[in-house]
Amino acid sequence: MQFRLEKRREPSKVMVYATPVAAVVLTMVVGAIIFSLIGYDGVGAVREIFLTPLTNSFKWQDLGVKAAPLIIIGVGLSISYRANVWNIGAEGQYIIGGLAATWVALATHGMTGWWILPTMFVAGMLGGAAYASIPALLKTRLNVNEILTSLMLTYASVQLIYYLVRAPWKDPMGMGFPQTRIFSEAARLPTLIPGTIVHLGVPIAIVVALIAWFIMSRSVFGYRMRVVGAAPHAARYGGFSENKTIWLALLVSGGLAGMAGMLEVAGPFQRMVPGFPTNYGFTAIIVAFLGRLNPLGVIFAGIVMAITFVGGEVAQTTIGLSSSATGVFQAMMLFFLLAGDILIRYRIKRVVPAAEVRA
Amino acid sequence: MSPELIIAIIVTVVGASTPILIAALGELVVERSGVLNLGVEGMMLVGAITAFVVVFLTGNHYLAILLAAAAGLGTSLIFGFLTLSLSANQTATGLALTIFGTGFSALAGQGYSARPVTLLGPLFPSELATHPIWRVLFGYSALVYFALIMVVAIWWFLKKTRAGLILRAVGENDLSAHSIGYSVIGVRYLAVMFGGAMAGIAGACFPLLLTPQWAERMTAGRGWIAVALVVFASWRPFRLLAGAYLFGLVMTMELYAKAGGGPLSVVPSELWAALPYLATVAVLVLISIRRDASTNAPACLGKPFLPSN
Repeated sequence: MQFRLEKRREPSKVMVYATPVAAVVLTMVVGAIIFSLIGYDGVGAVREIFLTPLTNSFKWQDLGVKAAPLIIIGVGLSISYRANVWNIGAEGQYIIGGLAATWVALATHGMTGWWILPTMFVAGMLGGAAYASIPALLKTRLNVNEILTSLMLTYASVQLIYYLVRAPWKDPMGMGFPQTRIFSEAARLPTLIPGTIVHLGVPIAIVVALIAWFIMSRSVFGYRMRVVGAAPHAARYGGFSENKTIWLALLVSGGLAGMAGMLEVAGPFQRMVPGFPTNYGFTAIIVAFLGRLNPLGVIFAGIVMAITFVGGEVAQTTIGLSSSATGVFQAMMLFFLLAGDILIRYRIKRVVPAAEVRA
Repeated sequence: MSPELIIAIIVTVVGASTPILIAALGELVVERSGVLNLGVEGMMLVGAITAFVVVFLTGNHYLAILLAAAAGLGTSLIFGFLTLSLSANQTATGLALTIFGTGFSALAGQGYSARPVTLLGPLFPSELATHPIWRVLFGYSALVYFALIMVVAIWWFLKKTRAGLILRAVGENDLSAHSIGYSVIGVRYLAVMFGGAMAGIAGACFPLLLTPQWAERMTAGRGWIAVALVVFASWRPFRLLAGAYLFGLVMTMELYAKAGGGPLSVVPSELWAALPYLATVAVLVLISIRRDASTNAPACLGKPFLPSN
């Protein structure tokens, strides 16, 4: 039996939503097979990584806390990618956002007041947006590829953390550890539900996604981003400046990454440490695609990704699987999703060879 | 500076440049065929762990290089299938390949960290390299000479051979190449596979040439620098050579700054560590100011080939 691809008259709506689900399911099935073949407990790995975080209610709070930054960054990236602006340096913008918030927290150390957290919030967003403005400036002025500049700046920002926590921001009482002092009460995010680790960042992530969905589908801004990405020539005729779109895409995605950085440093971390970069900025790229570059889809994709993170930790303790297996599963999911994209534009047709017809 | 120190620096620079040069040469051929593979870093990591495991188990460095090339090639086929056969988005697929290579290499390398192996020794007998001056010429391992030979070979292939002409035609105008009867997808598959094998060998340089051990993410973004270098070199092999050695020099300065002492340690070592990345940005800016860098880019770079449309 042979198969052939046949172009659809118009892109399939069903496939837009079906392929991400299929990608997750295929990842579980193929992942179980491959991990069994190379000598791991494949079924156990899939069960622990994909199902335990859902069935074990003690893990739900971890899911929320892990999903929040992924959703916030993923929403920003989905807006940027929609406009065909390839910001892949969200990790760096997340780091600079976290550092900007840390700077406010250290400058106000020992003070009290409701205004400290909002100031950190704004500083984080401004930090992320400022860092993203470098690729934006270089792209619009000199046509320098934003993929490379945003990524190179990420590597540089990691070194900035190392320098700051080793020298000027080092905790004087830290017994030589390269980290800042722990933030004052007023600079830490309050937990929402007593006795859990669920902080204010979790509802903020949902609100960010909802606002972004509304803006992208209902406003001129959203229309501009979608048109410039899908049909740049038409957009130019329509009077949308390409440079302005590049600026908006990078400032929004950078600002949201910076917001996530602030929420992380003021929430789970409560101080700046060398281990602050946790690859949320890179994983959010998968989240944006898995969510179909749609802010509402990003919520679900962020939760799926959070499941694999929490599940990866579970698998590490229960069946001794390396946490790096999570990355393999996440990449597989993206591979399947990208492979499935063709089904949106094409359908698979069975080709009956001529010989078979005669017989 | 004493002559010995200068020679030692030259030898270090050449070593540090080699993996970037090899990976960038592979990517140059891929991009000349009209394909943008951003998975270089991931393929390098797969090559690095393969080379490490092989040399750890067998002690045979050349077998390690060969299998690293095969592993890189195999990884590149994932990218080839998705982008060429299924015309998936090249940017996203390349990123996914890097995420995959990072995770896969870390998983495969579990339990191998902090286990030492031996470095690949110099290619020529040590009698040839007794005098310091001769060390600059004959003191390197086979990987260094391989990289230099490949610079010339790829230049000759692209410029002087019929196959090279076809490859460039596919990258410049895929529809014309297709209508003359060349298989655009076939040529691009071959280019992607070549790029994968080169990235695998480039990854092998890390455990075999630079630090004789395995560490997660040991390529530390060098694959991305290789991608940037191809743009820097405006898709020309000899400019790539110059660019790679320039970056090797910057990275060597970091090593000397970290070792302490001397004028380099006035600047914080983190700044030296960040310098290759900042230098990449600076270089991209410079070539953009000098002239429109994109004029020399293959016209079909990054665009999927869909003859039926």
